[in-house]
Formats: sequence, structure tokens, C-alpha cells
Amino acid sequence: MSTDVKASADTPPPADTLPARAPFSIAGLIDRHLGVLSFIILMLALEFGLRYFRVPDYVLPPPSQIFTALVRGFAPPFLSPSQYYVNIATTLTEALLSFVLGSAFGIFAGAMVVEFKGVRRLALPYVIGLQSVPKVALAPLFVVWFGFGIESKVLLGVLLTFFPLLINTAAGLSSVERDRIELMASLKAKRWTTFRMVKFPSALPYVFAGLEMAAVYSILGAVVGEFVGGNSGLGVLILSRNAALDIAGSLAALVILAVMGIALQRAVAFARGRLLFWAPVHDRLDADS
Amino acid sequence: MNARQATARTAPDARGGAIPTHARDNAAGPSAAVPPTIEVRGLSKTYRSKREGTVLALDDISFTVEEGEFVCIVGPSGCGKSTLLKILAGIVAHSVGTVAVRGKPPSDAQNRLGLVFQAPVLLPWRTVLQNTLLPAQVLGLDPKAAEARAHDLLRMVGLEQFASSYPNELSGGMQQRCSITRALLHDPSILLMDEPFGALDAMTRDTMNLELQRIWRESGKTIFLITHSIPEAVFLADRVLVMSARPGRIVEEIKVDLPRPRDLDTMSEPAFAEAVRHIRGLFGIGGKERPHVD
Repeated sequence: MSTDVKASADTPPPADTLPARAPFSIAGLIDRHLGVLSFIILMLALEFGLRYFRVPDYVLPPPSQIFTALVRGFAPPFLSPSQYYVNIATTLTEALLSFVLGSAFGIFAGAMVVEFKGVRRLALPYVIGLQSVPKVALAPLFVVWFGFGIESKVLLGVLLTFFPLLINTAAGLSSVERDRIELMASLKAKRWTTFRMVKFPSALPYVFAGLEMAAVYSILGAVVGEFVGGNSGLGVLILSRNAALDIAGSLAALVILAVMGIALQRAVAFARGRLLFWAPVHDRLDADS
Repeated sequence: MNARQATARTAPDARGGAIPTHARDNAAGPSAAVPPTIEVRGLSKTYRSKREGTVLALDDISFTVEEGEFVCIVGPSGCGKSTLLKILAGIVAHSVGTVAVRGKPPSDAQNRLGLVFQAPVLLPWRTVLQNTLLPAQVLGLDPKAAEARAHDLLRMVGLEQFASSYPNELSGGMQQRCSITRALLHDPSILLMDEPFGALDAMTRDTMNLELQRIWRESGKTIFLITHSIPEAVFLADRVLVMSARPGRIVEEIKVDLPRPRDLDTMSEPAFAEAVRHIRGLFGIGGKERPHVD
């Protein structure tokens, strides 16, 4: 009983049964790069459409102007408050701090709520109450309480990222397979050992779903906080460009925010791939078939 | 490698196994008479259910399991077999009666027994070796010695070359063998198994039964195994406890005297068929009156 039927059946099929590489074709090329192609076509259509119909620049500038604004924003003087560098640094700091702090508190609170009945009874009404408040509505208050600096933005971001992590961690910890916990019980494992070795790792897929939401919310919190009152940041930049009717500049800042959001989400997805190599990949949209 | 195996073999073991064991340690004391490894007296278990109110799951159950014995329990599904096993494992509390595992309550910290479920219950983020080593980490055993032992166990069940594979890369039978190495790692004197091969196909199941008999003979453990397969129970056990449908009662105790080691030919012997027929008769299967049990 040292060999197994499955082991031999699992060897890769011989090379000649592998599907042959499709011959070169224009259709195949288009199919593979559909995303990029459609983007180029959309930009070209916008560029010429907006010019043809003489849409004024202060309503919707053509893509080329947004691109020019982007290039101009990244040009020297690098440390000027009207250039991108300082503002990106501010918004990124706010977003990252909210992401890290909010997630950490959320995971901790989620674990406490599941593990301790007392905490659950005490805290859950407040959690539910707070969760039903639209958090961005608190932004003006936060500026009054914590000032125009990054503190008010970070706190708003923490509040936004806290809840998805709390809810997801709690859901993950409550749905750990019973057998896994009973296995640890049969070894008379300490509670903390069971949590650390079985329960928390089992909950990680849920936690990561929460982290992906938090990545988006942390940037949302930073920008909304800056809208309400701030000295620096991409939100402030968008407001000042809007006031100057520089819509191209405004949209350029939006492009940067989008890139930032994608980068943060990718970073979370990368960490997930590394840590959760064992978890089944459920219907992810970006999974190549 | 050779040195380790050599020292392992010097361990005095009546069955001459390659895996050292302290299963008989507590029998060595000459002072007291050897108590049964598992002793259950008048055990009942009731639980509350929203739909049915108070439910009597186990009713006045008494039996003993001697040290080194292989005892199987058969019964229809839903008769409370698994609950009984969980009570013995100290996972679930019982309502009435006394339960002693090696003279102590089952929840006693000293009763670190080996538990095998119907599903392998391997942690998917751990390799086969790391899964086997789980009890060592939980119990704080010496990591070096534990790893050496884990390799010995994996070799014993033929999983050595898959030590660094992850569970999802293995077949169901291989996963279940890994869960057995995990249950054996901390050298528990008692192995509790809850339909361990129930999810496997018939052929793998036969092989696993032979394998389990060999492990038992080599290690000298006390094994308490639940199954709903009557032939499996007769094939494996020294003694078969037959349980009734809910509330679970022990209807009869059958001693199986077939010679060891048993092989697949044993199943065609008249004594084997007789024992199976007898147990089936207790459930009313094959008889004319009550043709359904499950």
C-alpha cells in the first residue's frame, strides 16, 4: 500500500495530446487584447467627438488635454503645492494609515466579538447603530474635532475600513468547520492555540475579502475628508482645479486616484495569493479561463 | 536514519512494531489491578432541540474497552454513535452516568487521545508533514523528535514521498492516511475513529482496513471505531457493540474470534459470514418483519 491509484493517474498527459497552438490570426489577436483595443478606440472617439461637436473645455475636455494636464502636473517644481507629488504623498499617507489602522482594529474587534460573549452583548448594539450611519456624513464633524491636518482624514478612513473588516472577520471566525475545532479539543488545546493555529487561518479568506473592500474605502475616506476641509491632497487639488474651471486638471487628479486604488487593491490581491494559495479561487472576474 | 530505526526497534514491544510506543506503560505498575482503558457506566445523554424539545440521544449505555483491544460499534445512522465518541473524546459532556478514560474524566488534560473523523479534516495551508506535526505543536513536544517520528509514521502509511505536498494534491485515501498519522503522532494510547473510511470507495476501503489492522498490531493501541458497515466491524474488531436506533442503546456485544492477522479471504470464511448474519439479524435486515433500518 505504498503506491496509490490516484498518484499514477495524476501524471501529466503525454505531450502529443496537448492542444496544438492556434495558428496566427487577426481575430485571435483582437480577442486577446480586447481591453486595450477598446480603450484606444474609446479615447479616439472621445477626442474627435468632443472636438467635432465643439463641447467646451470647461464641461468635458478631450483626452489629450487630460494627458497634457497629467504631464504638466508631474513637471518641476516638484515640491510646489499645485503639483502632484506633495498631494499624492498626502493622500497616500492618509489612505495607507487608515487602511492599516482600520483593518487592524476591525480584525481585532471581529475576533473579540466572536470569542467573547460579553463583548458581543456589550458592543454589538453600538456596532449596528454606527454601521447604519452613513460614515461620510461624519466628515464635517471630524474636521471640527480633529482639524484640517491628516488626522481627521485618517480617522474618517479608519471608520470606513473598520466595519468591513469587523463583519468579515466575525463571519469568517463563526464559519470555521466544526471538525477542525473538535480536533483541537481532542488534543485539549488551549483556547488561544486553537484560535492561532486553526480558527484565524481558517477565517483568512473572509478577512481578505474585507481587506479588498477596505483598500477602496481608505482612499474614499481620504478624498472625502479633503473635500470637507484640508490643506493638501488630491481631493484639495480637485476642488481648486474645479474652482478654476480647469476640468482637465481635475480629471487628471481623478486618473491618479484611480491608479492609486488599483495599486492598493493589487497589493492586497498579491498578498492574498501568497497567503491563501490553499484556498479555492471562487469565481473571480479576472481569473483567466 | 538507520540509527534512529535501530533504536526504535530496541523498544520492547510484544507485537514487534517499528514505531515505539508507551501504550503499555500504565500496565507496568504492579500495585493496582489494571483498570479498563475505557469504562462507561449507565451513560445517558439528553439534549435540547428547538423542534423536538428534550431529546434522549443515548440511553443507559455501559461497556468497557480493555487495553490494546479493538472495539467496533455499529448502529443505524442517527443512533448517537458519534455523540458517544465525542463524549469519550471529552468534546461533548454527558448527562448521566460515569465515564472514565484511563481512570480519569474524558475532559482531563492528560487524556490526549488520537481522533480520526469521517472526513480527513486536514488543514489545507499545511503540508502533509506539517499536518502530521500539528499535535506536537499543540502539546509542545520536542520538535526534532516529533519530526523524526512523523517521518516514520508517514513511511509506515506510504506517504513519505508526499511529505511536502498539500492536502488538495492528494486523493481521499491518502488524505485519510495522513489524518491517521496525525492521530498517532503524539503516541496516544487510545485511538477514537468515527467512520474513518466511510467516505472512501469500496476498494480503497478494503485496503485501508488491512492497513489499520497492521497499524493496530504494530502499535498496540486501544482502538474504538464507529462504523455503519457490519462486515467492516466484524473484520476489524475483537468485539462488536451493536447499537439500536435512537435513543441509542447497546443491544448486544459480540466477540469475534477470527484469527489474526485477518485478510480479505477472512471475509469468505463461514465464521465471518455467521457473525455478519447474526448482527444483521439484530437489525432485522434480511428478516421478514422489519426490512428497513437506515
